[in-house]
Amino acid sequence: MSQGREVPSLWSGMDRKALAIGEFTLRQQRKRLSTWVVLIVGVAAMGVLTMFYIDAMTRDYEAIDNDGDSYDWDGDGYPNGQESLYGTDIFDSNSHPGILDPSVVPDDPSVWINEDDFDWDVLATGSVGKDDNGDCEVESRTASQKDANNNGIPCDIQLVSERWNPGGFVVRSDGNVDEDPDDEAYALEAIHRSFVLAIGKLGVVFLVGIFVPLFMATGLIRNEMTSGTMHFMLAKPIARGEVFLYRLLGFYAMAWVYLTVLIAVLAIITGFAGPSEGFFRLDDLGVWMAVWLGAVLAVMVYGMLFCTLGVMWKHGMVLALPFAAWELGMILTTLGAPDASILRFSVIGWAMNIVDAGAALAWSDTPLFIQMGLWGGGNGPLEGSEALNLFWSTPGLGLGALGTIIVSVFVLVFQTAACWLLGSALFKSKEIE
Amino acid sequence: MIPDMTQQGQAAPEPAATAPNVPVVLFNGVSKSYGRIHAVSDITLGLSGGVTGILGMNGAGKSTLFKLLMGKLRPSAGEVKLFGMNPWKNPAPYAKVGFVPEHEKMHDWMTALEFVSTFARLHGMTRKEAEKEAIRVLDFVGLSDVANKEIGRFSKGMRQRTKIAHALVNDPELIILDEPLQGCDPLARTTIMNVIRELGKLGRTVLVSSHILNEIERITEQIVILHQGKLVALGNLHAIRERLDQIPHTIRIVGEDARGLARDLLNHPAVFGVSFPNEKELLIQTYHFGKLHAELPRLIVENNHRVSIIDNPDDDLESLLNYLAGGGA
Repeated sequence: MSQGREVPSLWSGMDRKALAIGEFTLRQQRKRLSTWVVLIVGVAAMGVLTMFYIDAMTRDYEAIDNDGDSYDWDGDGYPNGQESLYGTDIFDSNSHPGILDPSVVPDDPSVWINEDDFDWDVLATGSVGKDDNGDCEVESRTASQKDANNNGIPCDIQLVSERWNPGGFVVRSDGNVDEDPDDEAYALEAIHRSFVLAIGKLGVVFLVGIFVPLFMATGLIRNEMTSGTMHFMLAKPIARGEVFLYRLLGFYAMAWVYLTVLIAVLAIITGFAGPSEGFFRLDDLGVWMAVWLGAVLAVMVYGMLFCTLGVMWKHGMVLALPFAAWELGMILTTLGAPDASILRFSVIGWAMNIVDAGAALAWSDTPLFIQMGLWGGGNGPLEGSEALNLFWSTPGLGLGALGTIIVSVFVLVFQTAACWLLGSALFKSKEIE
Repeated sequence: MIPDMTQQGQAAPEPAATAPNVPVVLFNGVSKSYGRIHAVSDITLGLSGGVTGILGMNGAGKSTLFKLLMGKLRPSAGEVKLFGMNPWKNPAPYAKVGFVPEHEKMHDWMTALEFVSTFARLHGMTRKEAEKEAIRVLDFVGLSDVANKEIGRFSKGMRQRTKIAHALVNDPELIILDEPLQGCDPLARTTIMNVIRELGKLGRTVLVSSHILNEIERITEQIVILHQGKLVALGNLHAIRERLDQIPHTIRIVGEDARGLARDLLNHPAVFGVSFPNEKELLIQTYHFGKLHAELPRLIVENNHRVSIIDNPDDDLESLLNYLAGGGA
């Protein structure tokens, strides 16, 4: 009846079967209401987080005069900062820059709020800061006043690492350097980065990354076994390990496209809404790419694992939930102790390494930026600095950013392969009623 | 359960040259038990060519036998061979097999054409080839005009025919149909029976199971009878029928004068016993059921009896099987 049909070679045969099952799985998922519920809930959750972000970006941050130089203590109309700059007495109303020759017009007090920008300029190893408003480099001050921290560089801030706390710093300032940072600019930048890291790590990689496979992959094989429809597929000349793999490929096709779209939308929204000198925050794309890579690989491992749990027991979800709880514990651990060795026994620990390494590449100034915010001109933490400190982690492998990404990708692929081998071995040993 | 890692991946592209003396299907002392329940016990059976009916009550082990053959179950004892290969370890022989499972659940969201062509692609066909073959087999089972309708909207008979089409798409040498007629309307029954007979004429090996003797009779003469997991009869249906006729049968007659009727009937050579459960009821034991049943109306009319019911309470498969299995009704 079918003479002349092309006999497939081994590879083309596998390819055709993979495509057939993958396509079938994709269409089957698309026809299920539960799929859409899961995907829409994911979008809604990310949407709520994004609204918090938009709110944070559009709020007014109170500009705090951290060093008090906008006040006019002697009531002569000249702010203290301006008087200090010209060397007049801030307590004497008869001594002010107006009596100088040529006479100086009084500044608006707002000039002396947030006058130090919010950046730490790196001068040399361990030395940062620049006297942006010139109140350290005043002529009347002596050389020893200008170099109070005694490191040989006038008007800088010295960061001394703490011996008992690697990564922590003691800040030694020469005084009047970066002492009144721009609170609003700092807060916007820090909150923006915190949000990108928080939604990227906790939202996309963890929440979406674990719940989408939990609801969509756990039943990939098991549901077909329970309903009896697996008989159709297994009556064909195809090994069960192949069926297992190709079902997952169909799931990946849907989950990966979903993640890509979700992350692209988030990247576009935050790229335009975030604080930026230009039109769009191009630097952030590096972080989002790392989030994408971490999420795609996490979904890959979780999908394979949950499908295996489904084959193992018909209530595979019951086995998957304690694992999800374990992963939650692990992601919280990555925030505080990214180098804890227990993280090697998780999936999320490796995915977080990728995001952290990507962020370290894209925003290499962040550790300094956090230290500056926590110091806050000597007056305690600026708004946003503590949040950023929480969500920022230095990749825990100690390999450098690129090395961390390569090793983590390899480990996650290995985990997937191990789950596949285990899952297909279990599936092969199952009798199907 | 220890995973079996030795299962092979792909179908052999060229079917392994099967020696002519290797049967298509071979069960050699096969048993399958679940704890203390024996679904199938010690079955030895070899089949090649022709249409074979597998007859048995629900739970007789018909589906278990098929699942063993399709590598869904692993035998507890004995060996199963499909084209000379172990189906539990190797999916390659399925390239030459079409299987129609008993399960009613199908992928309702697919159209018949999608269903058949999707599974055809698992035989290694390209999308185009699969579609072409699917159209061919759907036409063969008489569904070409509804090929693009969703299976979910099909009647039971149409669903069964779709399943049969999906099993025929690779032009198999062996076709296994598990209760293909169950729940079908008369028209679908006739179509399916014709399809099965047609496949037999094409020289395929066909295994078809049923729990209704009458159905199998209309399809084939070669039958295998299973009862409580054991093989109780095997061979030509006519030969088995003749043996079945020797079974003591009971005929129940309800009439006004049961004792008078009994007196007249006792003289008939086919009758060897009578009993009276109550005043108006008569039970007759016979070894020649067919003969007596044909003559009863004449005997009743000739002797002027008034009778309201004649039936045969144990003319069903169960009592026949009980007889075959245990030698007594």
